[in-house]
Amino acid sequence: MRPILLQGHERSLTQIKYNKEGDLLFSCSKDHVINVWFTHNGERLGTYDGHNGTVWTIDVDAESRFLVSGSADNCMKLWNVATGKCLYTWEFPTAIKRVAFSQDDDQIVCITEQRMGYQSTVRVFDINKEGDGTAQSKEPTYMFSPIGSKATVCAFPYMNDLILTGHESGKLALFDVKTGDEVLNNERAHMDTITDLQMSPDRTYFITSSKDKTARLHDTKTLMVLKTYPTETPLNSAAIAPKRPYVLLGGGQEAMSVTTTSLRQGKFETRFWHKLFEEEVGRVKGHFGPINTIAVHPAGSSYSSGGEDGFVRVHHFDESYWKAKPYGDMDIED
Amino acid sequence: EDAAEESNVSAELIAHRKRLVDEWNAWRLRCREELGEERRKKGGKVDGEEGPREETKEEIE
Repeated sequence: MRPILLQGHERSLTQIKYNKEGDLLFSCSKDHVINVWFTHNGERLGTYDGHNGTVWTIDVDAESRFLVSGSADNCMKLWNVATGKCLYTWEFPTAIKRVAFSQDDDQIVCITEQRMGYQSTVRVFDINKEGDGTAQSKEPTYMFSPIGSKATVCAFPYMNDLILTGHESGKLALFDVKTGDEVLNNERAHMDTITDLQMSPDRTYFITSSKDKTARLHDTKTLMVLKTYPTETPLNSAAIAPKRPYVLLGGGQEAMSVTTTSLRQGKFETRFWHKLFEEEVGRVKGHFGPINTIAVHPAGSSYSSGGEDGFVRVHHFDESYWKAKPYGDMDIED
Repeated sequence: EDAAEESNVSAELIAHRKRLVDEWNAWRLRCREELGEERRKKGGKVDGEEGPREETKEEIE
């Protein structure tokens, strides 16, 4: 499993995303730039240039037509994937920390940062897909500010009219998008900041990573913890591997080990855990700094990691990955 | 005696894992039903899950 190194960012990666087919990988970074790469050979297809600050977050729709990005320059931008043209810019009082498309791509949810008298706010925009995509409405369709701990991550669950959020305190919550009411929460989903949230393909469950050094699998409907994957390091990202019973975790490392990191190969590892048995099954080294973001190909054929070191590493799984049955023959539903 | 104990433990572990898989699969089935209901509520089409299993073979090549 020799990785393909994507070189092009000058600063640390903040989020990476595959498109639905998995032939493209989008990456955003503290260097203000968004890149798109061919996953099969690592060639850079293009750049989305226009933000004037760290790009914290991106998402791409199922048709690979629109890309949305959120930045520390207080702007959220909608891009034409194919041409690289910015179609629309929304401006907010504070930075945008997270964006996500709805399952039907008709809406975008975003979280703005809490700062200087501004609360952390969740906004939902209807996306007008007619024409060239430049005719968007300036105002959100729905907007609410969660009380208490600020939201750090968000997504559309499978249930209609709800928004799923993860918080700085470790809380998970479901909000009624129309009233802004918190309809359900799990205050103890994590003990520290939730750093990533990725839905399963049908959105009935999801994985979170946290500074509390664990990743967890949760039931979308009840927000109950289904599985826990404990590590020794604060985690920045967690992803679910389709078609194989694994989850992938990435994060930092104890200061002690950093000093012994060899020059040839970074020692920051992506950890593979068995999704059901909560046992670690393997690690893949490579990055020279903490792993900030992990994504798995929608068909499960590769995974990618983006690091504090400014590199993206694309790993295509080999045959042994598909054939390995470390716990014997078992039919596990995705 | 040790070997017998070891194989006992592993039989226990195997049974435990089988139980975890059975519980998971049963829960996934319930999820799919609820998903179908939610989609009916919205008035959308009720198609199954994404990502057909046949694709796996193609992907390993």
